[in-house]
Amino acid sequence: MMQCIFLLSDSGEVMLEKQLTGHRVDRSICAWFWEQSIAQGDSFKFMPVIASPTHYIFQVFREGITFLACTQVEMPPLMATEFLCRVADVLSDYLGGLNEDLIKDNFVIVYELLDEMIDNGFPLTTEPNILREMIAPPNIVSKMLSVVTGTSSNVSNTLPVATASCVPWRKMDPKNTSNEVYVDLVEEMDAIISRDGTLVKCEIYGEVQVNSHLSGLPDLTLSFANASILNDVRFHPCVRLRPWESQQILSFVPPDGQFKLMSYRVKKLKNIPIYVKPQLSSDSGMCRISVLVGIKNDPRKPIDSITVEFQLPPCVLSANLTPNHGTVNILASKTCSWSIGRLPKDKAPSLSGTLVLAAGLERLPVFPTFQVGFRVMGIALSGLQMDKLDFKNLPSRPYKGFRGLTRAGEYQVRS
Amino acid sequence: MAPPPVYNQRSPSPSQPSGKGEVSDLKMQLRQLAGSRAPGTDDAKRDLFKKVISYMTIGIDVSSVFSEMVMCSATSDIVLKKMCYLYVGNYAKHNPDLSLLTINFLQRDCKDEDPMIRGLALRSLCSLRVANLVEYLVGPLGSGLKDSNNYVRMVAAMGVLKLYHISASTCVDADFPTTLKHLMLDDPDAQVVANCLSALQEIWSLEASKSEEASREREGLLSKPVVYYLLNRIKEFNEWAQCIVLELVAKYVPSDSNDIFDIMNLLEDRLQHANGAVVLATIKVFLHLTLSMTDVHQQVYERIKAPLLTLMSSGSPEQSYAVLSHLHLLVMRAPYIFSSDYKNFYCQYNEPFYVKKLKLEMLTAVANESNTYEIVTELCEYAANVDIPIARESIRAVGKIALQQYDVNAIVDRLLQFLEMEKDYVTAETLVLVKDLLRKYPQWSHDCIAVVGNISSKNVQEPKAKAALIWMLGEYAQDMQDAPYILESLIENWDEEHSAEVRLHLLSAVMKCFLRRPPETQKALGDALASGLADFHQDVHDRALLYYRLLQYDVSVAERVVNPPKQAVSVFADTQSSEIKDRIFDEFNSLSVVYQKPSYMFTDKEHRGPFAFSEELGSLSIGVESADNIVTAQRVEANDKDLLLGTSEKEESRGPGNNGSAYNAPAYDGSPALTAAPQTQLDLVSLDHTPAASVSSTSLAIDDLLGLGLPVASTPAPPPPPALELNPKAVLDPNSFQQKWRQLPISISQEISISPQGITALTTPQALIRHMQGQSIHCMASGGQAPNFKFFFFAQKAKESSNYLVECIINTSASKAQLKIKADDQSTSEAFSSLFQSALSKFGLP
Repeated sequence: MMQCIFLLSDSGEVMLEKQLTGHRVDRSICAWFWEQSIAQGDSFKFMPVIASPTHYIFQVFREGITFLACTQVEMPPLMATEFLCRVADVLSDYLGGLNEDLIKDNFVIVYELLDEMIDNGFPLTTEPNILREMIAPPNIVSKMLSVVTGTSSNVSNTLPVATASCVPWRKMDPKNTSNEVYVDLVEEMDAIISRDGTLVKCEIYGEVQVNSHLSGLPDLTLSFANASILNDVRFHPCVRLRPWESQQILSFVPPDGQFKLMSYRVKKLKNIPIYVKPQLSSDSGMCRISVLVGIKNDPRKPIDSITVEFQLPPCVLSANLTPNHGTVNILASKTCSWSIGRLPKDKAPSLSGTLVLAAGLERLPVFPTFQVGFRVMGIALSGLQMDKLDFKNLPSRPYKGFRGLTRAGEYQVRS
Repeated sequence: MAPPPVYNQRSPSPSQPSGKGEVSDLKMQLRQLAGSRAPGTDDAKRDLFKKVISYMTIGIDVSSVFSEMVMCSATSDIVLKKMCYLYVGNYAKHNPDLSLLTINFLQRDCKDEDPMIRGLALRSLCSLRVANLVEYLVGPLGSGLKDSNNYVRMVAAMGVLKLYHISASTCVDADFPTTLKHLMLDDPDAQVVANCLSALQEIWSLEASKSEEASREREGLLSKPVVYYLLNRIKEFNEWAQCIVLELVAKYVPSDSNDIFDIMNLLEDRLQHANGAVVLATIKVFLHLTLSMTDVHQQVYERIKAPLLTLMSSGSPEQSYAVLSHLHLLVMRAPYIFSSDYKNFYCQYNEPFYVKKLKLEMLTAVANESNTYEIVTELCEYAANVDIPIARESIRAVGKIALQQYDVNAIVDRLLQFLEMEKDYVTAETLVLVKDLLRKYPQWSHDCIAVVGNISSKNVQEPKAKAALIWMLGEYAQDMQDAPYILESLIENWDEEHSAEVRLHLLSAVMKCFLRRPPETQKALGDALASGLADFHQDVHDRALLYYRLLQYDVSVAERVVNPPKQAVSVFADTQSSEIKDRIFDEFNSLSVVYQKPSYMFTDKEHRGPFAFSEELGSLSIGVESADNIVTAQRVEANDKDLLLGTSEKEESRGPGNNGSAYNAPAYDGSPALTAAPQTQLDLVSLDHTPAASVSSTSLAIDDLLGLGLPVASTPAPPPPPALELNPKAVLDPNSFQQKWRQLPISISQEISISPQGITALTTPQALIRHMQGQSIHCMASGGQAPNFKFFFFAQKAKESSNYLVECIINTSASKAQLKIKADDQSTSEAFSSLFQSALSKFGLP
């Protein structure tokens, strides 16, 4: 169980302190933490579990904000880490992002949220739907309302009924003017491609995201045409496990609004949509580089937002790179970013140029890894296909929408 | 009562308001608003409250407006109330008298018609944590537990626990635990049940030592009806409450195998939960339930594999880290389960260091006949990586796999390729590995030596690598044409060689070389012995002297001592005993797994039990001093993985002021370890098996490598020679220390002066602690800053468990130390005192 939660800004300033138990954790621990992270550099700064002289500290780092939880007693580490991740998610959801200013401007809300999320060191609820009913987000609508009606409280006066219902993720009886449900398959492809072009590893992490605007207590069933390809699945609490185990059917009462119905992995894939072929050859202090990009297995849907990024090794003094398509930026951190966008029809995009090496170096001693980004709309590259979506308990047939989307996750090409 | 904390003294940033003026302004404005009922008052109050809270948040002390805040608290606005509760909760502890003012309005709010306000008020009331106000708590808590609204009951259940921590007797007298128990078994709301459960677990665990009944009740929580009741409702609980229930179930002892299968069937779908904490807690239940059923246990491994791998690859890096730590534990117990999934542990290049490092360890662990080739190929990719620490780790991983005996042939080739990469750090790491390999597979010497011979010793700077190269030069002197000449040139630069370890190796190597190729090496040997005898480092000096006298006595004896026939090392001492691994396994899903140590090894002093806090000891060791404590711990931990690298690195981590340190080097040379040889072996094996102390023992055990027993005794003539031997691996837990300290009379109390070198070396308490550890005197607690330091030390007699306790207060400006010594065996306290003083007097000397 956690004793205290701190939020630190990216300059190490304590933005928020929430003591959870009677055993007060002195703020000086943050100063200790910050001194350590400066003294020991990044690898310490991002260590998820640290032993300080007096406490164990869990940390999660998001968008420049460090979330710390301190404890003196033994506890499941993943519980603390997972909780801090949820806190970060909920805050960024409420505040529309995460940064120092947002948190400082809305610290009262942050306190209120933490108050409901954890009591005496035990997490209570982190379900955004329930929190939303207890504490209204500081959006423009509620600000407008407060001006018009004169009541400027962001706390609802009623307790969430859902806490008492047997479907805690759903409000008792939401009334939606629209009657529609959208199901998205969002996939991320992780791949490692070795320098000779062979696929070292390729797998997909996918999510079924549902956006539901239905009234009453609808009962939905969703089935797939080829559920057997799924490697490991995990579900939103609303999914009933028995139907899945017997027939691989997702049966559930959805929460209202956007939520992640299920996530899955598909391993050992053979086909990747695009190839990236880097070639580097060094000669007397210069390195010639050329990178070719093209379609490998055509997904038959347009591939867009193609980017290729790589880190220039520290020993490179200067780089002169020209693409035949798209633009190249070299950032101060020596990151080269080549954005291609869509593949042109007439030619294969290529990037070529030279790198000047530091004095005394004949050859490039290390080879950069190329990070590839892309997006394919309209298809789930794992091949997962939705079969049908049925409704029970609904007065009228709602509008249904399906979409697929595949992005590159960690798509890396070695050179 | 302590004064209110003034936080901003540490690092007042210039942009922050200094506070004083603003705070008194606020005080004025609040006072004006306090009685006002004019419209718009709430808005004005809200702005002011916000300001107060924001000052409080950035660390300015606003406790002075306490009474004004309380006066303003009469409002119906819930946000105002919340801010007020927050403020009061923060400062009440330091203003117990003023807190009384808040009781009134909080009690009123506890009877509000809005359940949310009732709940919030009750939560704040319980969070005041002022001992003399507990009488006001009992009433509201009692009615809160009976409230018709679940939110209020949920808050009240947790409130009971808070009350218990303020005043256990009040809580027990009001019979709240019993009420909670009924609530837990009856309440329709799952969250109320969960809160009751966590409160009861904590209360009864703490009460158990005091009353039989409580300990019976604690057992009762683990009884079949309760566990089944909770399990049957598991789906009603939210994810966090599920974790608490699962944690309880993991402690449940099932009556028979049906019981086990029932529970597993009930919980199987929890493995698919989106929350990683739930998944891990479920896995713990599964593993523990099936411990006695080998077959099922194996099936469980198969079943949990996929969820764990997904959890690892889908979450944030922080989550991956926690999951990987657990995977690492599992893979140690059952390497084969993940051997076909090794690709999951390939590193993405932009993953954080801590994740990559664990993944490398996983790759090492899962390597077997079928996948070694691919894993090593992948590891070689990382060796060429930009990220130097990872490149180093990868090379070490390759070496470890080689020592596991799979496909050694190919690996040796790879290692030799590393040497051709001509990168200093790659060469350095590889040399160390080649040396280890040669000790295990002498048959490869021919290939290795050919490549190693081509390495210019000038390109090798790191002491470890240099020592390895020198060892090979000495060991394979007859195969390497240039060996005598390389050694000679190294000896010429004797004075520039800063590492004692390298100088020791140099002595041994030149000695071995001399015995094989006398004419070529004679001059070098002479130079080396001369330099060694003049060396300021005690161990180098001693070894040079030993060699010198050996040669003087009889060359054939010297030959037998320095160049005995060697046996290949078949198994390197495993760093963690299986007993320890089992202990960690018992603590699955806890911090122990992350630290790869059972909790008794790393949890500090008194924080062991699940619910035991410590404030006292926490404040004793503070600041920078303990910072390097951790660094050492991490470093040593990192090295625990492999003994060979470990021994030499541990030396570094022990820092200056420990002149026993260099004795670790020769242990595997077998050179000067004359009669001590068998013992050396023994000690090597038992090196890390001592479950006793954590960091201290690992570094201390090295001193024993030579079987010298006690480093103190080995250093020349400490005045006066103590007849007392101390146990270098002494252990004493803090509780018994405290107990003994209270019971024993002071046998010696005196003031001694400390040498100027000692004073200069005492920049942090840690420095002295390390030094004293080297002298078999261990630190229990330390604190203070220059010029005043305070230490509690303890030591044990070598062969019996007779303890010595020392309180040592050092004032650096006066160069004095105040000693108070207590001993189990009074008669030897004089001897111990002189030993302690001589140890102290050596502090700071090179």
